[in-house]
Amino acid sequence: MKTDIGRRGFLAGTTALLALATTSIPARAASGALSVWKFGGTPAEVEAWPAANDKFLAANPDIDLNYSFFNGQIRRQKILAGFQTRKLADVIIAFGQDIPEFAGFGMIQPLEEIAGDKLEGWKDRIVPEILSSGMHEGKLYGLPTYVDMATFIAIDTDAMKEAGYDRPPETWSELREYAKKLTTADRPGIAFPATTAPVDINIFEGIAYANGGRIFDEETGKVTLNDAGVVGALQLYADLIADGSTPSGNSMTETNFRDTAQLFGQKRAAMWIGLSWLNTPWGVMEGMNWAGAPFPKPDAPSGAFPPVAAIMDGTAVLMVSSSTKNPEAAIEYLDFWSQNEQLNTWGGNPEIARVPAGKSAWSEQGLADAWPAWVESYNAGTLFDGAEPMPRFIGVSAVESALATAIQQVVLGQKTPQEAADEATEAAQAQIDLLRG
Amino acid sequence: MNRRSDTWLAYFMILPVVAAVLAFVIGPTWDVGTLSLTSVVMGQERGFGTLSNFRALFADPVFPTVVKNTAIWILGGTILCVMTGLAVGMFLAIDSKMTMGLRAIILLPWVLPDVVTAMAWKWMLHGQVGVIGDYISRMGLTDGAISFLGNPDLVMWMLVIVLIWRKMPLVALILCAAIRSVPSEQLEAARMDGANGWHRFRFVVVPNIAFSLTAVTVISMIWITAEFTLPWVMTGGGPANSSQIMSTYIYQQSFQFFNWGVGSAMSVVNLVFLMTVVGLYLYINRRSWAAGGNS
Repeated sequence: MKTDIGRRGFLAGTTALLALATTSIPARAASGALSVWKFGGTPAEVEAWPAANDKFLAANPDIDLNYSFFNGQIRRQKILAGFQTRKLADVIIAFGQDIPEFAGFGMIQPLEEIAGDKLEGWKDRIVPEILSSGMHEGKLYGLPTYVDMATFIAIDTDAMKEAGYDRPPETWSELREYAKKLTTADRPGIAFPATTAPVDINIFEGIAYANGGRIFDEETGKVTLNDAGVVGALQLYADLIADGSTPSGNSMTETNFRDTAQLFGQKRAAMWIGLSWLNTPWGVMEGMNWAGAPFPKPDAPSGAFPPVAAIMDGTAVLMVSSSTKNPEAAIEYLDFWSQNEQLNTWGGNPEIARVPAGKSAWSEQGLADAWPAWVESYNAGTLFDGAEPMPRFIGVSAVESALATAIQQVVLGQKTPQEAADEATEAAQAQIDLLRG
Repeated sequence: MNRRSDTWLAYFMILPVVAAVLAFVIGPTWDVGTLSLTSVVMGQERGFGTLSNFRALFADPVFPTVVKNTAIWILGGTILCVMTGLAVGMFLAIDSKMTMGLRAIILLPWVLPDVVTAMAWKWMLHGQVGVIGDYISRMGLTDGAISFLGNPDLVMWMLVIVLIWRKMPLVALILCAAIRSVPSEQLEAARMDGANGWHRFRFVVVPNIAFSLTAVTVISMIWITAEFTLPWVMTGGGPANSSQIMSTYIYQQSFQFFNWGVGSAMSVVNLVFLMTVVGLYLYINRRSWAAGGNS
């Protein structure tokens, strides 16, 4: 049998078939293997994350998720080793402060290039100031799920009232006065952490940045640890010790943020300094009354840079490795974590105690009950006024390490704040020059 | 089988060991050596054949402190570990029900993982919340809490004490076994000749255990040089770098600062230092070492 088909007929037919085939194929869901490394987190967070992963797997049955959790302290060597051996996970959940170095070394990739239309949804759902903490050089490298803010103070309100005060201190001079008055024979007025732990350094940085200090000037490439703002904050630590308002300097160099919380909770310190998480309930003695407040501001900021209201950083920021073979699944995973349900995991949970990234979390009753002042401030649009990201640049660890040494030298009384800051600046600059070439 | 085939068989039999040594010892050492002579900028290698990493290392103001602390750590740790190990080994060599029990439980510190040991000691030694300082204070021996790990003058020695607690038991057991193998006839003869306890130890026991003593000293020195977890978890190199040693500073440079070139240069310095000390020690003890315990 002979069938006559003209050229036009053939073209029209095949085009129609092709169009039909294209429209009838459903959008291809992400599939295949996806490895995820998460670093650090509170005990509650460590449990919450795998539970949410189960929901992700239920919604994405074709994705073979391989999730691993590691201690936050080992993240840099783990990620570095993975990068060097070309075995980096597809998704890395690390700290916002890591972004410039990871991006500079080519370990992670900008999300704009692979996220497609998901990006708009992220912008809609996440608080802009928090989303910007995942940015580096104008590009989004990480999706933050929460942030911690620095610096805050907790005060034993019973002791405060006994000393004749009716509100927490608001300026550095008030802080010294309060700390002296709250000091008794068996209880220092204030305890602050001064180990080499990154959190302890971040706590100090919040104070120094509020005083107009910075640890590094990205424009000039110069370490600025001996800026008057940082030196002034070091002087505050030295003054509190010289006033006799703290545990001994030796003791504080081995006392990290958890230890200071313990001292406060046992009524062995009337005040303690920490990050935003100190505003949520900690283990304190039965019947103890206390309040959290922003750390007092300097009477007259002395630094060369604009004083900040707070500095903030996320410690569970989702990044996509530049070597991923499955960017579709990686983006699907990030998108899952950008959904309100996941971001609300943090809302009002006192154990997790982080500043939530999701806009909808701020309308949760649990959060309003736990942090009424914060929710009020968020609704008024002032919560993030004057807040900046925590220090982030290539070489940040080297500079923060030099800063930790300077803090300890001042706390131990080995050097004056200016001497310690000058020495730290020189040492850190040498490291930066070496690293950056 | 003829002699030639025996030789080939011998080569074949040692091939896996040679391959393992090449892959896991010579290879990485070569890699570290070449990296120490390479300029590394932003994680990228920018030219081989430079001494810039060594220049940066020797210009680093922290490095002299690191060298001093490392000397205390390795030499102090090894000497005290071997001396206490020898004393405990002598005691364990005595036959009694108590020492039989002790020989079994003395290895307990080895059972615990390094991190657990470090965290436990860190907590016990803490000036504010630690039990040791609290106990001493309650006994009225001090006016207030002692910050063992917060005091720059104390911290290195506290680390050495914890190190000895951790490493000494195996040294003691090895030396105990060596001491128990000393011929009883020799000891009896010395006693009949009027030698006192010290003389029997010095002139009979020590020559007999010289090989084991040398071997255990070298091994301890290598273990202690490589030890990282205890000092890092307990102090992180603080306060103010007063417990910063080679292993912690290499880690910090390589994995925290990403200065791989300097980290490698320091590893080379560390290797040379260790080889010198071990070489010197073996040279001094060459007779007992060469005699293989028969001296």
